[in-house]
Amino acid sequence: MMKNALTISGLTKSYKDFVLDHVSFTVPSGSIVGLIGENGAGKSTTINAVFGLIQKESGHVSILGHEEIDSDTREQIGVVFDGSNYPEILSPKKINRVMKHIYHSWDEQTYFRLLKNFLLPVDKQIKQFSKGMKMKLAISVAFSHHSKLLILDEATSGLDPVIRDDILDMLLEFVQNDECSILVSSHITSDLEKIADYIVFIHEGKVIFSKPKDELIEQYGIIKCGAAQFDALEREDIIVYRKMDYEWQVLISDREKMLKKYPKAMIVPATIDEMMLLYVKGEKG
Amino acid sequence: MKGIFVKDLYIAKSNILVTVVSLVVLGFGLSFLLETSALLVLAPVASTTAVFISITSDAASKWNKNVIVMPVSRNQIIGEKYIFYMLLAVLGIVAALIPCIIFAFFGVDITAYSLCLYGSIGISATLLAGGISLSCAYLFDPEKSQIVFMMSFMASTGMIAGIVLLTNVFIPVKDNALLAFGIVLAISAVWFFISYQVAIRVYQKRDIT
Repeated sequence: MMKNALTISGLTKSYKDFVLDHVSFTVPSGSIVGLIGENGAGKSTTINAVFGLIQKESGHVSILGHEEIDSDTREQIGVVFDGSNYPEILSPKKINRVMKHIYHSWDEQTYFRLLKNFLLPVDKQIKQFSKGMKMKLAISVAFSHHSKLLILDEATSGLDPVIRDDILDMLLEFVQNDECSILVSSHITSDLEKIADYIVFIHEGKVIFSKPKDELIEQYGIIKCGAAQFDALEREDIIVYRKMDYEWQVLISDREKMLKKYPKAMIVPATIDEMMLLYVKGEKG
Repeated sequence: MKGIFVKDLYIAKSNILVTVVSLVVLGFGLSFLLETSALLVLAPVASTTAVFISITSDAASKWNKNVIVMPVSRNQIIGEKYIFYMLLAVLGIVAALIPCIIFAFFGVDITAYSLCLYGSIGISATLLAGGISLSCAYLFDPEKSQIVFMMSFMASTGMIAGIVLLTNVFIPVKDNALLAFGIVLAISAVWFFISYQVAIRVYQKRDIT
């Protein structure tokens, strides 16, 4: 079994007002990697560059052990973009006929079972679908050709919490097979906290961190303190900080170590959301 | 490629049906005014509009982004559109031939010469127009491509006139009309092939977002 389902190293792409700057991270086989970052941080650009939708300037991408992403490799990848991206005049039934001529491994039974589970009408045109229904359809397609790597770009953003939860369960079930892996880009970090094994945080086109989620949740923390306490902190202990109305919030990477070092400090665990906010809105230590 | 062809057929199905029926009806209607075979000039051009419906639909639904991540190469995506275009042109010719054959069956004088002449003019105009508009559909954004699509028919007429005038320098076209339009047809086929090669090269390097 290969070590990484997806390896991205030094991926660079420049636009007039944005640079995707040497982005590197991996999606280990059998794991779920959450790609987080604010709007315009470079998440979709990274995914687009991985698939060659945009021409990269430098860097290497290896998918399922292949640097050249040929048809056989694409056969094993399921992708869900934000929006259904299927012609609106088609119905799910017609999409089945299209897809069975595109994917050799198209599984009609799985497709119709998923449509049934999602309560999607098979004969209705997609233009009559809500955003949530369109996303469910795209997810059904991605799950119906025995993919080994799933890439979801903001795929759950238009869905209600109940459906999102169902989809998260599907994703967890998918990676029960060690050969299957998922890269999920999402704004909804609470979803990623539930399912992701690793979190990659992109900010202004750069990877800020790529770490196991458990390490972030169990070790990272926020010191909430006043000005005097903040001044007493050693700079190398501070990853980023943010001055709020009545307090300072300081992101630290080792709660236990900091508790021993600053026994009087109030240190609380940090959610992924809070970490992201501190990185985006805070200042470096 | 078969999958994307099926998708385009679904998208353009109603348009194809309406065009084919209209051409047959127009063929019968025109017979009172002029030669039914003259419809062969219009038929292939008219029937290829369905390709642009599929291109517009692809752009509107962002299908191009979706299909790139599927096991379909960029060359296949372009190749399918060009093949679809040619098949529709052939379908147009067949639709226009239906009233011609029926009239010929009832004794109306429809010559092979006029069928070949009008047919070659129609196919030449279609190939020249497609050569311009199909490659531009992958060069420009959808709005500009639609303008190019409309202009391409006028441009193809101008190009045919230009080639005929040029041919007339070497061969008197009035006495050798079929030969002259045979030359036009050959040049149009080469033009269409070059356009296909250009579209492939353009699309290979194009960012799709």
